[in-house]
Amino acid sequence: MSLKSKRGFLLLGLAGLFAAGFLLSMVSGQVRTSPAAFVDFLLGNDQSLRTIFWEIRLPRAILAFLIGACLSLAGAILQGYFQNPMADPFVVGVSSGASLGAVLCLVLGLQASLAGFSTQSLFAFLSGYGIVLLVYALSLKKGFFKVETLLLTGVAAGALASSLTSFFLFLRTDSYEQAVFWLLGSFQLASWKQAGAVAPYLFICLAISQWLAKDMNLLSLGDETAQSLGCPVPRVRKIFLATATLLAAVSVSVSGVIGFVGLVVPHWIRILIGPDHRFLFAFSTLTGGVFLVFCDLIARTILSSAELPIGIITAAVGAPFFIYLLHRKKG
Amino acid sequence: MRLGINALIALCLGLIPMIGGAGQKPLTVTDDLGHSFPISSPPRKIVSLSPNVTEILFSLGLGGAILGVTRFCDYPSEALSKEKIGGVVDPSLEKIQALHPDLVIAFQGNPLRVLDRLKDLGVSVFTLREGRRVEEVFQTIEKIGRVTWTSEKAADLVAALGAGLSRTQGALRKAGPNPRVFLSLHGSGLWTCGHESFLNDLLDQAGAVNIAGGVARNWILMGRESFIQQDPEAIVILAKSGADFIQGREWFQNEPVFKKVAALRSGRIYHLDENAASRFGPRLIAMTEHLARLLHPEAFERQP
Repeated sequence: MSLKSKRGFLLLGLAGLFAAGFLLSMVSGQVRTSPAAFVDFLLGNDQSLRTIFWEIRLPRAILAFLIGACLSLAGAILQGYFQNPMADPFVVGVSSGASLGAVLCLVLGLQASLAGFSTQSLFAFLSGYGIVLLVYALSLKKGFFKVETLLLTGVAAGALASSLTSFFLFLRTDSYEQAVFWLLGSFQLASWKQAGAVAPYLFICLAISQWLAKDMNLLSLGDETAQSLGCPVPRVRKIFLATATLLAAVSVSVSGVIGFVGLVVPHWIRILIGPDHRFLFAFSTLTGGVFLVFCDLIARTILSSAELPIGIITAAVGAPFFIYLLHRKKG
Repeated sequence: MRLGINALIALCLGLIPMIGGAGQKPLTVTDDLGHSFPISSPPRKIVSLSPNVTEILFSLGLGGAILGVTRFCDYPSEALSKEKIGGVVDPSLEKIQALHPDLVIAFQGNPLRVLDRLKDLGVSVFTLREGRRVEEVFQTIEKIGRVTWTSEKAADLVAALGAGLSRTQGALRKAGPNPRVFLSLHGSGLWTCGHESFLNDLLDQAGAVNIAGGVARNWILMGRESFIQQDPEAIVILAKSGADFIQGREWFQNEPVFKKVAALRSGRIYHLDENAASRFGPRLIAMTEHLARLLHPEAFERQP
C-alpha cells in the first residue's frame, strides 16, 4: 500500500473514531442516559438533561480532544527536536514545574480565580514555562547549547521540582488527596471556558509546526547538514522548543499531568505512515485527541461510584497497543 | 459572650428581609466563604458533599430532604440508602446535576475548583469550614440550621450538645491529673494531630494532654524518638472497627523500642471510633465524654 493511501485510510479511520468517541461521550456517564434521551435533546423535545449533555459532557469531550491533541503534538515536536524516541512533552521539566506551581498554590491556600482561570492554573502555567526557560538558560554556553545538555539539565531540573513538590505535600498533608488528583490528571471540571482557552493555543501551535515541518525534516539529517541545506537551525530550534513548551504548559495547567499520550501517539503515527513531519504533526494531533476522548470515556465510566484519574487509563490502554504495533512492525 | 456575638451575627447576616417580598419572608444567609444566599423557601432537595454535613442534616430531622450524599456517608444508617454522588474530593458533577438540588452543602476538604464549577452550572453551594475547637461545631450546626430553615431545631440540638459538654466538664472537676496522651490517627505509624486540629481540643476537653499539642499543625508524623521521649501515659487509637483497633494496638506492642513507654507498661491503650471522632459533627460531644470516661473513670463513678 502506498504511503498516500495509508494516510487516506488513517484519516478515514480517525474520522470514524472521532465521531464514535464523541457520540459515546455524550450518551454515557455516571448518570444513566439513554441514546433516545440524547436524540430527544437534539431534536429540542426534552431539555431536562440539557445541563448534563451540553454543559458537562460535550465540553468535557472537546477538552479531552484538545488536550490529547496538544500533548501529542508537543511529543511529536520534541521527539524530532531531540532525535530521541524517549522524548515526551514533559522531558524538559514542564510537567514537574507545572505540578510544583499547582501544589504550591494548594499549600499556600491561594485558591481563587482570575478572569476565568483559577490561580492554580496560572501558577502551573507560569512555573511550567519558567522552569523550561531556566533549563534553557542553564544549558547555554557562549550563546550555543548542545541538545544533550538541554535534555540532561531538563531531567535534573524536573527531579528537583518533583522533590520540592513532595516536600510541600509532606508539609501540608491535608492537601494530599486533592494534589494526587491534580498530579494524575483529570477532566472532571471541564467547561466551555477551559475548552475555549485551550483551543487558540492548539491552533496557533499546529499552524507554526506545519509551517516549519520541512525544517524539522531537515534537522533529522543533523544540524550541520540542515544548515547547509538552508535551514536556519538555531531559530527553528528555538521556535520548536517554545511551541512544545507552550503546548505542554497549557495542558498541565488545565487538566493536570496526563502521561503517556505525548510519548506514544507520535510513535504510532510514525509506524503507520512514516517519519515525514509534514504529516506526522497533523496526524499526531488528531490521533492524540481521539485517543484521549476514549481514555476519558473509560476513566469516567469504568467504575460506577468513582472517577479514575485519567493518567491511569492512558498508560493502561496505550502501552499494550504500542507494544503490539512495535511487534507487528518487526514481524 | 460568644452566644451574644452569635446572636448579633445572626441578626446582621441571617435575617435581612428582602424589600418587596410577597407574603413569605425570604432569608439571606452567609456561608464561610462569605457568599450570601437569598433563600426564598425551605430547601427540599439537599445534596451533602461531606459525611459530617450528612450527620448534621439527619440530626436536624432533614433526612427526608436529602437526595444525595458521598460514598463515605455511612451514618446514620439511613444515609447508606441515599443516592451516592461520588466522593469528597471527586463528587460527580453529572450526578449532582441530575438530582436538581436546590441546595448543596459543601465542607472544607471539597476542592474549591469543584465547588466553583458547580456554581457555574447554576447550583447553589453553601460552604462551611472546619473549626479548631470542638465547640465550633455548634456554629456549624446553627449555620446549617439557618440555611435549611430549621434554626429552632438547631438551637435545641446545640443546647443539648452544650449541656453534654458541660456535664463532662463538671465531672472532670473531680478528676485526677490529666494524663499525657498520644492520639494515633491510623492505627499504625505515628501519625497524630497538632494544635490546629479540633482533635487536639477534643483531647483537651476530655481531660488529656496531647503530647503533640505544641506543634502548630493539623496532622503530624511524629518520630519514634520524640514519642519515647514524651513518654505518653495513654494511647488513644482512632479505628473504624474493633479489629482495626486490635491491629493498631499490636503495632505499638510489637515495637521493641516502645517497651518502656508508660502507656505500654500500664496497658492504657484505648479505642475511639474513628468516624465519630474525626468528623466535625454532633457526635464529637459524645466522643469527648466517652474519652473522658476512659481516661478518668474515677470522676464518673458516682454519676447517677
